[in-house]
Amino acid sequence: MNLGQVGRVRMGISGVLQPDLFPEATVTPHATRAMEAMRLGNFRDAVKLFKQLLKQESRPEWSEGLAQAYAARASQLAAKGMFEEAQILLDNTAAPDGTVRDPLLYVQCLIKRGQHQKAAEHALKYVGTSKAPASQVSRLGEVTAALSLAASIRWDGTTDQQSERGRWFEQASAAQQALAAWLEGKPHEEIDRLLARISLRSDFKALRLILKALISAAGDPDRARQLMDAIPEQSAFASLRLAVEAALAAPAGEFLQGGIQSSRVRSFVLQVNGVADREFQSLTELLKAESDGPGSLFSLLLKQAETRSAADVRNACLNLLPRVPDRLSRFEKTFGPLSEFDKSRVLAMAAEARPDWSAAGRHWRVAAQCLENSHTQRAKLSVGVIYRHLAELADRHQEIGGNEDGPAVAYLERSRSFDPDHLPTVLRLIAHYRATDEVEDLNRLLKEALELFPREAAVLLQALDWAAARKDLNRAMDLAHQLLALDPINPLARRRVIDLRISRAHELMRSKRADQACKELAEACKVELPHAPSFALRINQGLVGLQVGEGQEAEARLREGVDLAGGGVCGWFRAALEDVLMHGRGDGSLLRRELADAQKTPPTKEAILSIASATDGERTRENMGSVVRLVSRIRGWLTKGISLDWSVAEFQPVAKMFRQVKDYRLLANYSKRALDRRPGETMWRLYQLVARTKGDCDKLSEPEARELVAIAEHASARDRFRDAKLIWDFLESDENFEQVEDGDGDWDFEERINDLMEASVRDLSPERIRRIVAKHGEVEAIAIITKKLQKSVLGVVLRDEGARKLAKEMVDNVVASSGRRHSREFPW
Amino acid sequence: MVTTDPFTTFGVDEFADDQEIKRRYLALVRAFPPDREPERFQVYRAAFEALCDERKRLQASVIKVNNVALSRLKLRHVASAKPFSARASKATVCALLIEGAAHACSPQVSIPLT
Repeated sequence: MNLGQVGRVRMGISGVLQPDLFPEATVTPHATRAMEAMRLGNFRDAVKLFKQLLKQESRPEWSEGLAQAYAARASQLAAKGMFEEAQILLDNTAAPDGTVRDPLLYVQCLIKRGQHQKAAEHALKYVGTSKAPASQVSRLGEVTAALSLAASIRWDGTTDQQSERGRWFEQASAAQQALAAWLEGKPHEEIDRLLARISLRSDFKALRLILKALISAAGDPDRARQLMDAIPEQSAFASLRLAVEAALAAPAGEFLQGGIQSSRVRSFVLQVNGVADREFQSLTELLKAESDGPGSLFSLLLKQAETRSAADVRNACLNLLPRVPDRLSRFEKTFGPLSEFDKSRVLAMAAEARPDWSAAGRHWRVAAQCLENSHTQRAKLSVGVIYRHLAELADRHQEIGGNEDGPAVAYLERSRSFDPDHLPTVLRLIAHYRATDEVEDLNRLLKEALELFPREAAVLLQALDWAAARKDLNRAMDLAHQLLALDPINPLARRRVIDLRISRAHELMRSKRADQACKELAEACKVELPHAPSFALRINQGLVGLQVGEGQEAEARLREGVDLAGGGVCGWFRAALEDVLMHGRGDGSLLRRELADAQKTPPTKEAILSIASATDGERTRENMGSVVRLVSRIRGWLTKGISLDWSVAEFQPVAKMFRQVKDYRLLANYSKRALDRRPGETMWRLYQLVARTKGDCDKLSEPEARELVAIAEHASARDRFRDAKLIWDFLESDENFEQVEDGDGDWDFEERINDLMEASVRDLSPERIRRIVAKHGEVEAIAIITKKLQKSVLGVVLRDEGARKLAKEMVDNVVASSGRRHSREFPW
Repeated sequence: MVTTDPFTTFGVDEFADDQEIKRRYLALVRAFPPDREPERFQVYRAAFEALCDERKRLQASVIKVNNVALSRLKLRHVASAKPFSARASKATVCALLIEGAAHACSPQVSIPLT
């Protein structure tokens, strides 16, 4: 049942039910039941009940009720597509002159049954009368107008010309003549004269606009479009309007691309564009086969292979093959054997459509190999394209494996070997190697990228970031200046230069060369944009200035920086943090005093988030001890933040800060209060468990771990992948990896090897491996665990292949034991 | 306007070069400026993005199917077409009028217009 039909039924119920249908005095149990049946939409029962009432006593109200029940039931049946039954029911409501209770529905039933002439004749019964319901008058008038034109109803001349009905027929006659004139290709002036006879207030207004648009379309298409805009979507002429608009919008055969679905509209467009009959038939056949599906189209094209352009027919069929791969042999029989490349390509696309990712990967690899030995540029680029496609597929589907670990990266590297100039691939690989700390590959790739793309800002930025991360400040500065030379107003490059100079100033301060640090910061000021002053630069200038005795001027700069950083606790915290990072040797009393004073102001979410962001960075991680002490100085103020109404997403960076400074009690208090406020927000449970286990997932009990897995799966199912990732990251965190203690050197060799192995696999419990497999799949899990093993102490003595084998064994064991009771013992 | 692939949208073949793609794009944008036909412009823009360099064109022709050859076959039928140079048949117009009348009889159904 479509919306319109539902609407009609609802209208039927609400429109039919009249509260004053039964006067109080006439209400009997039967009448009450009939009324109730109407109210509930049970019109079939209502019809029966009203018939019984009429048998008992022939009252006008029972007749009225029966007519209403018939009309409403007819609406219900029409909504189900039962137009014949609906028409029969409405016939029961017919008055002696043939008019029915719901004329629009009756006309619709007749049209749907193909009785167009009868529909037009019936609709004409209401012209110039007041027999149609008021709600239908306007629409019925237009429907009658459209039907009278389609069915060529003639005015019999017996009606008084001065009556409303007579005037309507006069308009109908003018409209018919104008339409006939256009259809016969009469001159525009003649059509215009006929159109002038049609009133813009009549039911034929839409036809006047359409014909006017059609005769002016060739010369003034904009005017024609404007005329079409005046016809509403609900109009009985809307289909014709749609066809005219399609013709206006589709020059040069554009409409053949599949935009126009209705065959009537397509026919109209082809006809007004003067397509010859023979071509029209042939094209219609082609379009019909296309809409019937690829199989039909393929068969039709094959039949035409000899009569039409053979190359185009072959190519069209070739492009259909991935959708009908079973026709491959028929194709080869007609056009000759396909090349190995094309065949693999077709099979790969067909496999993707099924979808069978394993087969798709296999066929794409064969397709690429077919072109690998070719020396043309196009072939090399094609190989690059295929391997990049494989990398994308491998990212999404673990079945696309090949024989290597980390298949997506391997495919990208392979793509780069055939198409080294593809910048997005290079950038993606750089990002991957940085994320996975593959230093050797990263250095190699950055070196090659800088040679290939010396003037590419994205590459320079990556190289700059990497140099800064390696503390190679000179190199970073050099790259930053190259970047600025390329793009002088690049705000990101300017910020990098400022950050680098601040880092260098910190180094100088640590080596007690405050004067040099001053100069470094003054240089940084030169790249600062006037409208975007850097708070960090101002703060550092102030702090360094205070140490070299610049007094009030330095303090003013410091205060300016603090204000730029947001003022209050977050501003002074940032100042104190910068002081910590440069190992300031001032007395620090100003910072301590101001930070203490600022804490009299209650915290806001923004201020706490700003502090969380300040503590999240490479430099702060390297000075975590000092940062922890600094955060402890504002602990009381942070505690007040518990009362703020945090959402899980807002709280995430704050939670990260608490984990970094190991303030698990504060984390527990925040999450407890949040869970009290919103018990349904299960993500707070993660933070509660992180706090309870002090960030060590191995301290989770089995039920707790299972609870977190369930929360993660629930989050994934609701597309909250970020939440799910947070949980998985915690469950897979290996904070204890680095806590392997050195032995005292007295153990024998075998014992030492055993200890090394145990230490390396300590955090790779079956439970954890099971979670990794569940999240990433087996292939990816092996790659992840291999990397973990390589990074562990065992990686020193284990070759890459050995680590991979061990990882595979671990995953195989876990997979084999899944289904059995989960064990925390190590099966290897 | 629904398009199946960027080559068909532009009406160019798989071996069109950068110049041809650019020329075709500019011609289409001139004919259908974005301020007047924003949706159509979006389609042309997307097609241009998909074809603007050789790698992207290869991506569209190697790892995806296209309807270029089929479009050429269709266009051959309408080679002689000239917009609004002829009249529709009475049967076609009547069929459209009856279709419109049937839709208008349903109180809440309207024909989605372009």
